[in-house]
Amino acid sequence: MTRDTKDDDMIYGLTVEERGRLKRGLGELEGTMPPRAVWNRICEQAEAEGLIRTPHDGRRRTWFGITGLAAALLLAAIVVPGLRDATQQPYPVVPDNAEPSNSVPLTALEALMVESRQLENDLRSLPGEPRVIRAGTQATILEIEDRIAAIDYQLNEAEPGLAPDEEEIFWRERVRLMNSLLRLREAQAQRTAY
Amino acid sequence: MSKFADIRIDAAILRRAQQGDKRAHEIIYRAFATPVFSLCLRFTRVPAHAEDLLQETFIEVMRSIGKFRGDAALGSWIRRIAVSKALMFLRSAWSKRSQSLADDWHEHTPGDNASHGVSRHPDDALDLDAALARLPSVSRAVVWLHDVEGFTHKEIAALMGKTESFSKSQLSRAYQRLKPMLEEPDGPIAGRGAAARSF
Repeated sequence: MTRDTKDDDMIYGLTVEERGRLKRGLGELEGTMPPRAVWNRICEQAEAEGLIRTPHDGRRRTWFGITGLAAALLLAAIVVPGLRDATQQPYPVVPDNAEPSNSVPLTALEALMVESRQLENDLRSLPGEPRVIRAGTQATILEIEDRIAAIDYQLNEAEPGLAPDEEEIFWRERVRLMNSLLRLREAQAQRTAY
Repeated sequence: MSKFADIRIDAAILRRAQQGDKRAHEIIYRAFATPVFSLCLRFTRVPAHAEDLLQETFIEVMRSIGKFRGDAALGSWIRRIAVSKALMFLRSAWSKRSQSLADDWHEHTPGDNASHGVSRHPDDALDLDAALARLPSVSRAVVWLHDVEGFTHKEIAALMGKTESFSKSQLSRAYQRLKPMLEEPDGPIAGRGAAARSF
């Protein structure tokens, strides 16, 4: 670059000021966003060539595993009194005295998974989205859903796999967000009822 | 200066992309799509061609990212791929028209007068855009690579398969063309709000 700078003074015929002005002007030119469809075309070609793997496939496989585990844990939760009430706490854990003597004690992580599953069921049991939606509420709901999706991505796709304590952090945050989502959707449903 | 240099990608995302993770690739694409597309559009001036080059660039990124060792910044690496694709396109266009690189200087068509909407600036930037668009494609590419992307003449010469002198002469000729609008103290490039200039 030093050599180029020297050459510039010798042969390009622009004053230092003019060159500076030109470079500034060029640097300030705005970029242009490509049409959204280009990414879809890239994906199609990349998938056809086997260059990328779709997270959806792996996710579905992982989700079967997680759903199976959650279903099994849900059965255990049915016989764990007080577990559902624990959702009211910010970081729910299974009370020690809540375990029936003949059941396998749930770890904190498993309890969070069960609770998350229960919250999903609660959400599904709510009536469908109202026709008239407050923009602010809807934006908050979408944001929470995005954050849940981001957590799911970490839980299902993270490689190498998450350490147990990391996994628990993610599940705890998922439960917290699911609680917030449920409260918002319940409020939405109540407003629609009146 | 180059927009590529400002973009940072998390090392974990890069690792996932190297494993073929689609979402990681999408994150990289979203980060670099605009500078790559802008560069391609600057070189080709035709949005459809720039879209094709954008696609080719990111397919190449996906093919080769496993070999990326991080010796240079990811942005520099992607930029080099994009430049290489864009120059390949220009070379192909020249060969189709049986034109040599040197002849390109004399190329000037009525269609050159359009700025193709590359910039949204209403005043001086549009003038500069228009002036750039009217440069022959090789000169425009050299100006962009040298003054915006920071390539040396030696690097430009290697990319174009030409000599350093060729790169220098292209830049010099381009400056001669651009000089009239640079000389005016309150000329189009000097300040925003200046009246549109016709060439």
